[in-house]
Amino acid sequence: MSEQLSCHPSSGVAAPEADHPFIYGLWKQNPVFVHVLGMCPTLAITNSVRNAVAMGLATTFVLVFSNGLISMVRKMVPKQVRIATYIAIIATAVTIVDYLVKAISIDVYKALGAYIPLIVSNCIVLERAEAYAGKKPVGKSMLDGLGSGFGFALALSSLGMIREVLGAGTFLGYSVFGPNFEPWVLFLLPPGGFIALAIWLLIFTVWREQWGKRKHTAEKAEIPAFAEVGS
Amino acid sequence: MTPNQPPPSSGFRMVRMLGTVSFICGLLIVATHINTRARIRHNQEIMMSESVAQLLPGMQKQIIYGIQPSGGLTILPGLEGDGPRLFAGYDGSGRFLGIVIEASDRGYADVISAMYTYSPEKQTITGFKVVDMRETPGLGDRIRTDRPFAENFTGLDAKFDFDKNQSSHPITVVKHGAKKNSWEIDAISGATVSSRAVGRMLQKSVQDVAPVISKNLDRIKRGI
Repeated sequence: MSEQLSCHPSSGVAAPEADHPFIYGLWKQNPVFVHVLGMCPTLAITNSVRNAVAMGLATTFVLVFSNGLISMVRKMVPKQVRIATYIAIIATAVTIVDYLVKAISIDVYKALGAYIPLIVSNCIVLERAEAYAGKKPVGKSMLDGLGSGFGFALALSSLGMIREVLGAGTFLGYSVFGPNFEPWVLFLLPPGGFIALAIWLLIFTVWREQWGKRKHTAEKAEIPAFAEVGS
Repeated sequence: MTPNQPPPSSGFRMVRMLGTVSFICGLLIVATHINTRARIRHNQEIMMSESVAQLLPGMQKQIIYGIQPSGGLTILPGLEGDGPRLFAGYDGSGRFLGIVIEASDRGYADVISAMYTYSPEKQTITGFKVVDMRETPGLGDRIRTDRPFAENFTGLDAKFDFDKNQSSHPITVVKHGAKKNSWEIDAISGATVSSRAVGRMLQKSVQDVAPVISKNLDRIKRGI
């Protein structure tokens, strides 16, 4: 399905009909690498892979839950009060995640406790509600939430990987380079977040452009008649 | 406007919809709270025990006391129940090490709950540790990590005038760098509200607990 799509980021926020809602959020319109949304958690809690994954999963839960519920009530909500309704639903999802994290793991709670309530103000969540869940059926909306959430988790863990491996010399707590490695502590500090983000944005953009060029030439090769006329 | 579009919503319809959504959201939150309550409590107890062990290094045995309204102490079997609890710590030979006291007050975001070590002989606070808080990451949460702030609690004067039944010098929080007296807490700049909350909770707790401890000190030292 994805072969039919162009690689340029679409200017609109809603997925075109041909897009699979999961792939759309995960890759084509990745909330961090393409839309550059949700920067606060992206920079703040990516100093270890585990925190990044936990935050990504917490946000994914909120996205799936809120997208599902919003889509369920979308036809009943008068449009004047839709934002208020969305916010109430998103805040509920965040509160539930907060309780669950507190109940499941003390360590994750200690690391993320202060950031979890902030998911409510993560613009990815409200953006998906307004652009997708408020217009589309429940199943698709939940899939869209799952895609965007995994896309966010993917971006966070990519950053977390660079920062933990270089900044602490470990991956998920296990030593990578052995005892003689002098960690680049800079990567664990706030500037390291910006550097790691820049590295990934560069990789991602170059990758997308290369991919786009390749597809462009492949499309040209498929229609030689037009190419001949053109030349 | 297309002819199929519904007529503009009435006020009643909007209120009804918001009310219904809020009601459902409320039900969901309460259901989650009830189902996770036991686990959360258990986890908080673990965090609390860890804090006590860190505040009283070398502790082998602890006794948890609850404060009765009459000013007496009761030994609690575990961490159940609310209200300020006193954790008396003893080393392997049963020697009394110190008392850790629970305190909490409202911070910038939510209640900050903490524990501090109180030395009854010197009437000073010799250690402080945040157990749970919701302060702003990078600003208020420095009350947990900021080293100069932690140094405030290596010997914070908490003298109590038992005749007047009030602190000799109330613990006060002063602007960063303005600390002159041993009963003042040097605030973290950029985290004034959180620093003040710490000062308030300590002053309030000392005011409540110091008379009780002094009355029952013999008993606490003997560990009964």
